[in-house]
Amino acid sequence: MRSSGIRRPRARRRTTAAALASALALTALAACGTSSSADGGGDGNAADAADAGSPLDPKAKVTLTIDCMPPAAEKAELKQWKEDVAAFNEKYPNVTIKGKQTDPCLEPPRFTAMLKAKSQPEVFYTYFTDLQQVLDNDGAADISAYVNDRTVPALGDMDPDVLDVMKKDGKLYGLPFSNYTMGLLINRPLFEKAGLDPDKPPTTWAQVRAAAKKISALGDGVAGFGEYSAGNNGGWHFTATTYGLGGSIVNEDGTKADFNNATGKRILDNLKAMRWDDDSMGKTQLLKWGDLQKQMASGKLGMFIAAPDDITYMVQNLGAKYADYGMAPIPGRKATLFGGNDYMIKKGISSDKVKAAVAWINFKFLTPGKGQFDWARTKADGLPVGLPQPNFWTGATKTADDKARAASSTMPVANFRAFTDHPVQGRPEPPKAQEIYKVLDTAMSAVLTNEDADTGKLLDTAERQVDQILANQ
Amino acid sequence: MSAPTPVPTLSKRQAPPPAPDSRAGRAGRESTAFRQALRRNLTAHGFLVGAVLCFSFFSWYPMVREFFLAFEKREDGRTVGAGWSNFTYIFNDPAFWQAWRNTLLFTGLALLLGFVVPFVVALVLNEFRHGRGYLRLLVYLPVMLPPVASVLLFKYFYDPGHGLFNRMLGAVGLPEQQWLQSTDTAMLSVVIAATWMNMGGATLIYLAALQGIPGELYEAAELDGAGILRKIWHVTIPQTRLVLSLMLLMQIIATMQVFVEPFLLTGGAGPEGATLTVVQLIYQYAFTFNNYGSAAALGLVLLVLLAVFSAAYVRLSRAGEE
Amino acid sequence: MTTRTLISPAHLARPRGRFLYWSAFVLVLVVFTLVFIGPLYWMVTSGLKSPQEFARTPPTLVPENAHPGNYADAWGVMDLAKLLGNTLYYALGALAFQLVFDVAAAYSLSKLRPVLGNVILGAMLVTLMIPATVLVVPQYLTVLDVPIVERNLINSPWVIWLPSVTNAFNIFLLKRFFDSIPRELLDAAAIDGASPLRTLRSVVLPISRPILGVVSIFAVVGVWKDFLWPMLTLPDPGKQTINVGIYSLAASVTENWLLAALVIASLPTLVIFLVFQRHIMSGLTAGSLKG
Repeated sequence: MRSSGIRRPRARRRTTAAALASALALTALAACGTSSSADGGGDGNAADAADAGSPLDPKAKVTLTIDCMPPAAEKAELKQWKEDVAAFNEKYPNVTIKGKQTDPCLEPPRFTAMLKAKSQPEVFYTYFTDLQQVLDNDGAADISAYVNDRTVPALGDMDPDVLDVMKKDGKLYGLPFSNYTMGLLINRPLFEKAGLDPDKPPTTWAQVRAAAKKISALGDGVAGFGEYSAGNNGGWHFTATTYGLGGSIVNEDGTKADFNNATGKRILDNLKAMRWDDDSMGKTQLLKWGDLQKQMASGKLGMFIAAPDDITYMVQNLGAKYADYGMAPIPGRKATLFGGNDYMIKKGISSDKVKAAVAWINFKFLTPGKGQFDWARTKADGLPVGLPQPNFWTGATKTADDKARAASSTMPVANFRAFTDHPVQGRPEPPKAQEIYKVLDTAMSAVLTNEDADTGKLLDTAERQVDQILANQ
Repeated sequence: MSAPTPVPTLSKRQAPPPAPDSRAGRAGRESTAFRQALRRNLTAHGFLVGAVLCFSFFSWYPMVREFFLAFEKREDGRTVGAGWSNFTYIFNDPAFWQAWRNTLLFTGLALLLGFVVPFVVALVLNEFRHGRGYLRLLVYLPVMLPPVASVLLFKYFYDPGHGLFNRMLGAVGLPEQQWLQSTDTAMLSVVIAATWMNMGGATLIYLAALQGIPGELYEAAELDGAGILRKIWHVTIPQTRLVLSLMLLMQIIATMQVFVEPFLLTGGAGPEGATLTVVQLIYQYAFTFNNYGSAAALGLVLLVLLAVFSAAYVRLSRAGEE
Repeated sequence: MTTRTLISPAHLARPRGRFLYWSAFVLVLVVFTLVFIGPLYWMVTSGLKSPQEFARTPPTLVPENAHPGNYADAWGVMDLAKLLGNTLYYALGALAFQLVFDVAAAYSLSKLRPVLGNVILGAMLVTLMIPATVLVVPQYLTVLDVPIVERNLINSPWVIWLPSVTNAFNIFLLKRFFDSIPRELLDAAAIDGASPLRTLRSVVLPISRPILGVVSIFAVVGVWKDFLWPMLTLPDPGKQTINVGIYSLAASVTENWLLAALVIASLPTLVIFLVFQRHIMSGLTAGSLKG
């Protein structure tokens, strides 16, 4: 998974004979469909409905638009969506779900355009980090009154940290769809080749360094460990690494930088040593999302910090095999960066629509054993099961869901045992994440491209700049 | 980097506006003339309306809007006045000064390479009596490639691990370079790629200008015993001065706006921000940070600088002519 | 060519001069071919290699096992047909809009000379002086919600077509050409009672074929090569241009497929260039000036 603002490309699957002529005809049709930008509005009093907390009345007649419906190319996912709509309609026959196929679900420029023009569907997909942008554009309804254990029965077992990222000033603006926590992704065949035990992946940075050295000793252009340093991804991973070691990027109240200390220095010094003293990180740097996945899928990279679904990406797009990869918790294990995506509800739509939206999100995304958590069906449809993602359940729900997942798994889940057996406390991204990441990118690219980089000085500069960003709010 | 499109002449060279219709007539004819003029004008504006509408919406209005944007910001779903805060924001951003230093470095290097190389290439090509068409074609070939293709090619060549350039250096016994991955060479590498991609246009324009130089001038210089360098200095350069100086202006304006090459080669910022340019920063403010006000403010600063530069240039070149 | 150039013919006629000429010529020929064709050769052959062969160090000069299938795979996986089709559609549309609106405008400014015509021309030429990238932000915000008509043009072809009309340079080229058409020709047509539109169609356009060709090529190539604007305004993967599409898919395909895709993406403009090179070269220098 990715942090918002970092482009996450997705290869389109092979489509059936899209001849030039038909492509032209399609685009010509699409040309007529320029959307009107003035269709915002609605009655705007959704929140003051007296009975907001009660579930939707099945007799209420509601039509709901929602994006991120799977595209036609994803046949199995689309089939599941349709099945779920049909099942939902058995209980709520008067609700019409009008799905919009957006592939990928969110693309930052399109998202920005949509918010500015207030043309988002009534239920719209966002990343965890988008809340401030949505609120700046007055785009999402406060759904606090609508979400309780009657409307979302599993609410009590939902990770409160995950719910927190969708809250601002105590008000809830979204419901999660999926989430991820970062860990250490390892290349099992390379571990074996280098004489390391892939079932005992490194747990500290000293072990990572030692393992990287052994792996890169294999030669043939193999690097032991890979790291980003461009496109703000370097700063993103610096943050993940810092969390793993128990550090923070900004202080408690978000007013000052908090990484210019022993932890921050240790991270940079370690990377610098791996890059220059050990030469275990390869020569090619300034990498960003997608580059390390490519290296790993082609068997040239031993480890990098990643989210579980990076594996899915490598399998689906780069011809890799699930069995070749394993996950371990982030080194240090003190805390780990998490992120994810969620659905928000457009501000100003009627109370019944909000209720219908909550009911649908609950049915499709938040009900153990149903919708996206119907693992038996996912396996039957030939989709991968077994990745530790999404993982926003706690307590009894988690136990039950883990069991169901394992029962239907399509990949060797044992490879993820190190990751799943040691759940690490999740932490959200810092405020002003992209601006801070840009600053930290500089430090990351410095240690990876400059043998003489002065890590202390880099952190001093970065601290000053981040303080400025935070003061500028 | 050279301007990919040909150069317009300065507008002062245009034909003077037509003299007003001076047919003075009797009162009766006057109203007919007036009606005719009205009709002619209506038709003429009818022809103009499509282009003028497009310019209004997509050129003139955005120009005005740029100015207002720089003094606005978004707050809790509303647009409010920002005073000079967008400007203080950019002036306080350390990346601002770095971006300017990088942009000036890029412009300097681009002039050194992108301005001199095409001229020298044109000089050389102009001497050959054979294979001219082929050579001209070669030089212009990269201009026709989609920029993504050219840039990605260079990205492969620059790779310090198994890139072609380091292989070649290694083969002739030279030390390998870090290319895009070192603060010392990153910008130079971007400029080399940009020059390769864009030099064709400038080269062809110089070639055309060189062919306009009367041969007698060279003969006269030879009678004075001038060598090749002196001939270039005393004949070629003065004879192509106007083209050269116009191209210089166009190239400075073009290079100050460089975006695609660093964006694709280094992901924008490059090692320690060594390839972060001003336009890159505008992009980042607007489309990564959603801070349109600061993006507009920075755009305005760039605009003012270029305007001052252009004005100074026009003045200087006028003074030079007198 | 027989024009007299820098080096005197007398020098060249001597044996030493001839030797130097030919050595320099061969050297330049070889170096230029390597510098300008070499990368293209590398691109085409790398597209033929298997991923393993591509990753090999040192690289192979000629692919050991050619896999032309890479090209078919790249075509299918990256849906290049659609990307190319999109780009063609945008380019031809932009061409049509520019030919209609810009030619009409240039004709009006040159021959019909309306009141305030010079002011309008000046306002158009001013846009040449304003860096396009500075205007990207306000332009982007404008197409999100075009004033008065209140339309969001994002992801629609209009977002390419309409702004392409604001090409002051093309208007300027056309106007300069029209200026050079003798007044008498038009007056003769006017005496025959032809309307301005008919005069444009039957007198002006036929003799303006060369400049129309040049302007057309610039229009098409401009759309084909543009990157930042289509990246911002056509984010929908199904509507992207070839440049942007390949850029956004670059990370998610293997290197040999990516290179095959780059070759395919380069072909259309290269073909246009090779077919129309004479026009393009003369067009390039059409706007330039002597001495």
